[in-house]
This record gives sequence, structure tokens and C-alpha cells, in this order.
Amino acid sequence: MSSSRLLLRPWPFPVLLALRYLRSTRKDAFVNFLSKVAALGIGVGVAALILVLAALAGLHDRLLGQILAGTPHLEVLLPPRADSVKARESCSTVPGVREAQRIVAGQGWVLNDGVPQALKLIGFEGRLPSSFPDASHRQEGFYLPVDLAARWGLSPGDRAEVVSPRPGLTPLGPQPRVRFLKITGTFQSYASETVQRAALPLATAERLLGRSGRRIYVTGGRLEDAEGLKADLQSVLPEGSQVRTWKDLNRSLYFVLGMERTLLVVAVGLILLVAALALVVDLGLIIASKRREIGMLGTMGATPGTLRRTFLYLGSLLAFFGLALGLTVGVVGAWALDRYEVLTVPGQVMFVDHIPFLIRPVDLALVLVLTVVLVLAAAGYSGHRAASLQPVEALRQ
Amino acid sequence: MSLKILARNLFKTYRDGGRQVPVLGGIDLEVAAGEMVAVVGPSGSGKSTLLHLLGGLDRPDPEPLGEVILGDQSLSQLGDGALAAFRNRTLGFVFQFHQLLPDFTALENVMLPGRIAGHEPAEVHGAARKLLQEVGLEDRLEHFPNELSGGERQRVALCRALALEPPILLADEPTGNLDPSSGEKVLELLEALRRRRGTTVVLVTHNPDVARRCAKLYTLDRGVLHASPP
Ligand SMILES: Nc1ncnc2c1ncn2[C@@H]1O[C@H](COP(=O)(O)OP(=O)(O)OP(=O)(O)O)[C@@H](O)[C@H]1O
Ligand SMILES: [Mg+2]
Repeated sequence: MSSSRLLLRPWPFPVLLALRYLRSTRKDAFVNFLSKVAALGIGVGVAALILVLAALAGLHDRLLGQILAGTPHLEVLLPPRADSVKARESCSTVPGVREAQRIVAGQGWVLNDGVPQALKLIGFEGRLPSSFPDASHRQEGFYLPVDLAARWGLSPGDRAEVVSPRPGLTPLGPQPRVRFLKITGTFQSYASETVQRAALPLATAERLLGRSGRRIYVTGGRLEDAEGLKADLQSVLPEGSQVRTWKDLNRSLYFVLGMERTLLVVAVGLILLVAALALVVDLGLIIASKRREIGMLGTMGATPGTLRRTFLYLGSLLAFFGLALGLTVGVVGAWALDRYEVLTVPGQVMFVDHIPFLIRPVDLALVLVLTVVLVLAAAGYSGHRAASLQPVEALRQ
Repeated sequence: MSLKILARNLFKTYRDGGRQVPVLGGIDLEVAAGEMVAVVGPSGSGKSTLLHLLGGLDRPDPEPLGEVILGDQSLSQLGDGALAAFRNRTLGFVFQFHQLLPDFTALENVMLPGRIAGHEPAEVHGAARKLLQEVGLEDRLEHFPNELSGGERQRVALCRALALEPPILLADEPTGNLDPSSGEKVLELLEALRRRRGTTVVLVTHNPDVARRCAKLYTLDRGVLHASPP
């Protein structure tokens, strides 16, 4: 290859200079070593960030999937004296609402042989709500979690005793209210549910729990539409009603998950920061060893801006190799780890049996932006130092 | 295009730490457009320093303030960026020592000013080849500076200074490392350029033969410039 080819390319001068320096700095063993450390550091940082974010996104995706499956899109809490049938009808008139269902919810117990099991009692009107994913839209009746039923040896058709804490007045004084209910069916509950649920007909539930736990479950088109529907619902509902979206209902969970993500990005991002510092040192050495040449370029009329850009590009070129490597390792690694289910989790510990990896475009964008900002800061700072050399001072060394 | 050089009241004192080294003590110099003048003087008298000031590579002392005017542009009025661009268009430098960029071949070194100026690559390439041929280096185009002799480097450096045919050339002992015949060639090149393009040349030299070829001769001694009879 004729090396004069480079200067024949119609590229801006700083690009030509950066490309030539990229090649010539390989001759200096120490500078070469530092360049590799910086590039490799950036690669490791990028790959680690992608993998960590993908694992987190995968786990969160599963976790939220399960939790959201048991959460209505929107929940309306009615004031005590409101007419719940009228309120439900008002909800149904709001455009975008697919389904509005009256619910009574409260704490209670199911007894078996005198042993109580605490449950959240969900009284529903009409069909089983979609927050019971595998059993939704089944007919009115009494439904227990499948594992509870299995544990107690109960099957559909058997009777179970449901107890509510709301006292009823009897000749013997106030007593907990008790109903014997015939089991209609079972539904799948999730390991992530902290309190198990049981579903029963609205009328029964109202008698057991009273009217204080009355609410309306509203289902819209998509999850993202919930925020918009919230305002519309509020305007048609009676004074004192509270509308909460699935996000509101899981706010603390979202906060914790978001916090976890931020902390991890900061912690793993430190690798990138160290790599960026290595880049500054590396470029600093290159500039120091090229002081005289930088001075010469100055006498030929290279402006400080040209010199600044040269080292900005040189730094970016060095970092680019690291970034490309990190992106490849991170993306391919996350894909392979997910595809071949490499990282397994002991069965009962979590709600998954292997760690799923989910590469989200927004995570990739975050990693890219973070890397580009750090590299530009590092290379820009070095470029600034090269540009502030005075030609004579540089020549005199 | 040719430009005149006007320097007025130039002082230069180097300060490092507490030490002060006064080098230039009030230089006045006027070189007419298209003229070639020589500056001689003992080693350490400040000849290189003077060239740096004339070329805007360094700035004179702020107190008492002097100024350098090339054509009708006063250098003190230009910021660093504008000054660099002005140098690129207006000035060619030949330095006393190490001046080639070691990462670029002889041909590339001569192409640099043209590429910095943003000229057409093919054009720059052709002009650089032609210049190197004129100084007898057509076989050394692809050599890196460390593969050239001292005299060859000096010739390459001269070609690079002349590459954009600058209106003003400042040369610090351009024939210092050359044998008489190469030195002669370099001077002929300078002379030809001056006649053809009207280049204004300030030449620092220790060689009396070289000095004699110039229109005027100045001697720098103890910080002051004296006109000497040729
Ligand atoms: N950066 C500096 N700091 C301090 N003193 C300096 C500096 N640069 C030059 N000098 C001093 O200024 C004086 C003039 O230097 P200069 O290089 O201009 O001399 P010169 O006339 O070109 O000499 P020569 O013929 O040997 O090249 C010298 O005594 C030198 O030691
Ligand atoms: Mg000198």
C-alpha cells in the first residue's frame, strides 16, 4: 500500500491526521498498551452494562407480567354512599372502556377443619375478572387458588367455610359472619402474590364484607391507555371516588425496580468512567510525544480547532473499537444466555427457573449515550489540551 | 501577490521563573514586497526569535508594545484561530531544526499545507511531486523523514514551505545542512520563486555567500538590528 494514499482521500484534515496517528501510535509500546486498555475497558463496560440491563429487564418483565396479570387496569374506589350500579354504568359510557365490573374486596378467611387460611376475598359481578388470567370470564361462583385447594384436598363441588371479620349481630351477641360456599372451580395463583385471593359472587361478598370495600374494576384497551382513562373516569364518577391505575396500585414496586436499575447502571457505569480516564491518560501521552509535530502543524496554519478535532477523532476512533466489541459481546452474549437458558435458578426460590435476558432498545440507547458522552468528554478534554499548545512552545521542546 | 513586512518596536524578553532573558530590544524592520533580505548575527543573538515574531508564532512583549504588519494585516489583531488560518495562506516557514512530521512521508509532508488549506487532494499531490522533483528528490517521495539524510530533509522542508506559494517566506538557515551544490539549488529555487511570484523572503544565515545574494543584509547584535552594506 502506498502510504501517500491517505492524504489523497477527500476527507477533512483532522480525520486524516487522526487516522495516521491511530496507526503511528502503535509503534510506541506503552502508548499502544494504554490504548488497548482504554478500548478494552470501554468494551468491558459496554458489555457489562448491556448484560446487566438485559438480565434486569428480563426479570422485571416476568415479574411485572405476573403482577400485572393480577391487577386491574384501573380500580375505582367508591365513596360509601354512592350507587355502585350507577357508577359502573357511568364508567361504561367512557370511550375506551372495554369492561367495567363491580367488585367488593376485603380480608377474610377460608376454614378447613377449623384451620383458617387468610385470603383476600374478591366479590365479583357477572364473570370472573380478567385479573384472574387463567380463569377469567368464567361464570359467577366461588373460586379458590389451585394450590390451596390441592393442599386441602378440595375439588369443585366440595364446600368450604368462608369467614369475614365484619361482625354480625346474633342472639349470642356479635359473631363473625360465616358462609358455607360450594367450590365452583380453581385458578392459578402466582408465587409473587403476597396474599392469596379467593373469588366469590358479589352478593355473597357484600353480605360478608359490607359495602365499604366496594370498587369498580375497569379494563381499557391497552395498559398504556390507563393514564388517559383515569382523567375521563374521574369526571363521570360521583364526588369522592378515587381512580387508581395499575401503575398507582404498584407504585412502590415500580419505584424499587427503578431504583435498582439506576443503582446498577451507576455501579457498572464506573467501569466506563475508569476506561474514559485511561483514554485521557493515553491521549495525554500521545499529545506529549507529539508536541513538536503539533507545533509544526501550527506553523503550517493548522488552527487550534483542527488540532482539537484531531484528538477528539483519535480518541473516538480508539473508543469505537471498544464500543463495537462491547456491543457485540453484550448483545450476542445476552441473546445466547437467554436462548440456551444458561443461568439457572433453583426451582422454588424465584418465579423463574432461569434468568431471562431481554434486550430493550431503550437500554441499548442508554448504554450508547452514556458511552458516547463519556468518550466525547475524555477525547474533547484531550483535544482541548492539544489545541491550547502554542506553536513556538511546542517547537522548542 | 506580494506583501511587505513591517515590524515596529519589537521587544522580546523570555521569562522563566525569576530569570529574565532579554533577547530583542526594539527591532524596526521594513522589507519591501518581493524583496529578499538576509539576517545574520552571532549564535544566540535572537535571529530565530525574530523570525517567530515576524511569522506570528510568538507574540512580542506587551510592554513596550510593538507590532508586526504583513501586507496590511496587523498580527496582534488576530485571534489564535484566525492567525493560524492567516499563516496557512500567507506564510511559509523553514526552520533550523527538525521540522518534518515523522509519521508522514516526504511527499505527504509537502502535501500537508495544501490539505490544511482544504485544497483538492489530486491538485495538492501533483504540486508536491513537482516541487520535490525540482529539488532532485523524485526518488525519495515515499521515504519517511528518518529514512532521509539531513540535507534531504532540509530540501523537503523547503518544498513544504513553498507548497502553497506563500507571499512571504521566513527561512531559518535553509542551507545550513547542505553541501554547496545542494545549497546552491535551494537558493536558485528561492530566487526563482521570488522572481516568479514576488515572494518576500527573510533569510537567516551564517553563510556569507548566501547573504551576499540578498538585496539587503541586516546584522542582529545584542538585541538591535543594524543595516549592513551588502
Ligand atoms: N524559551 C526560552 N526561554 C528562555 N530563553 C530562551 C528561550 N528561547 C530562546 N531563548 C534564548 O534567547 C536567545 C536567542 O535565541 P535564538 O534561538 O533566537 O537565537 P539564534 O540567534 O537563532 O541563535 P542560533 O544562530 O544559534 O540559531 C538565546 O540566548 C536563547 O538562550
Ligand atoms: Mg536560531
